[in-house]
Amino acid sequence: MLAACVAAMLAPGLARAATKTEAQAALAAARKAEAAAGAVRNRWLPAEAALKQAAQALAAGQYDGSVAVSERARALANRSIQQAKEQDGLWQNEVIR
Amino acid sequence: MHLLIPSARLRQVALLAGALGAMALARMPARAATTPNPEADRLAFRAYFKQRFPAVKNGDWGNGPYAVNAGMRQQWEAIMQFPPYDFALGDGEKEFHRRFADGKTYADCFPDKGIGIRQNYPYFDTKTGKVITLGIAINRCRVANGEKPLNYQKGLMASIEAYMAHTSRGKPFDIKIPNDPRALAAYEDGRKFFYSRRGQLNFSCASCHVQAAGQRLRGDILAPALGILAAFPIYRSDWGSMGTIQRRFTSCNVQVRSVPFKPQDKTYRDLEYFLSYMSNGVPITGPGARP
Ligand code: HEC
Repeated sequence: MLAACVAAMLAPGLARAATKTEAQAALAAARKAEAAAGAVRNRWLPAEAALKQAAQALAAGQYDGSVAVSERARALANRSIQQAKEQDGLWQNEVIR
Repeated sequence: MHLLIPSARLRQVALLAGALGAMALARMPARAATTPNPEADRLAFRAYFKQRFPAVKNGDWGNGPYAVNAGMRQQWEAIMQFPPYDFALGDGEKEFHRRFADGKTYADCFPDKGIGIRQNYPYFDTKTGKVITLGIAINRCRVANGEKPLNYQKGLMASIEAYMAHTSRGKPFDIKIPNDPRALAAYEDGRKFFYSRRGQLNFSCASCHVQAAGQRLRGDILAPALGILAAFPIYRSDWGSMGTIQRRFTSCNVQVRSVPFKPQDKTYRDLEYFLSYMSNGVPITGPGARP
């Protein structure tokens, strides 16, 4: 039942190819997240690599692939921001006293 | 936070660091930030490493992995018969005494003509409110005398630093934190960076160089954080050349899949300030050689 619902929700998304505009928007969102990670001094190398890959796919007209990699880059950037925020409170626990 | 730790080695270190971290956590609940007290921090830091490695003598902390591992020590003694930093040291000495176009030399830019002063770097410059590392001071000297600034990670910069360290061998680190809130803030910024986990692998500097100090990671023995900058610049066989502190910070950040900062970025200067202060009393051994 649940599986059927999820499949029904996903089906249209899978069937339709991403447009150039969508790929550009996904990349812009990922770049924005990575810039925010930079602002908390915690960029991750895999996020940078994914951004590069997404930009290349976009330039090559592979919009579906580009959207997927941009989303991965954004997820990585968000995790790095989360890590920095957590560490703001947790680092004191590692201090030698 | 779920993290993918690729190599078995790294996983082991992570587990170890995690276990030690958990022990610390069990002792104390999450701490609120307190007013920084560098001298109390330093004494605790020193006491911790002395207790972990009771056989290491004060003059030996600057020898990093070799201080804490007998097997590596033998390898090192063999390497040191023909120290691989000798070429750099010679180049550095020559460059240090070369006259700039205006007739001056590096000696004119430094206290005591630049001889035997490496242990005083980095220092906090109350005029600019910034931490000044030896690398920054060398490039400032060059620019003030019409020379181009050097790359901060290797090459001639490492050679000049090698010479300046060599003239300072045996002199204990003597880092000052002036009574200036900006100096204390720089120290605290470096301290926070050292203890904060970062990168996709979620390690702090302390995960490897405190909790896992003396453990093996891939081919390396992890250097204890006490005295960890005393041997710089170092020749590393896997680099095939000399590298400065800034180069080492960069590669340690990359190892945990963190984007490194630019050499001499404020973050790295503050980190160097903190780490050097922690090593006050540990003699300079640089330049160093590593496998
Ligand atoms: C995943 C573990 C790991 C982390 C995290 C790590 N390092 Fe390292 N570091 C190493 C390894 C491996 C070496 C080479 C072996 C050695 O000398 O310890 C090294 C070497 C060094 C050295 C040179 C020691 C010597 O005597 O040659 C310095 C200095 C250093 N690290 C500083 C740092 C700082 C500062 C951080 C935090 C930004 C950091 N490291 C984070 C693994 C790590």
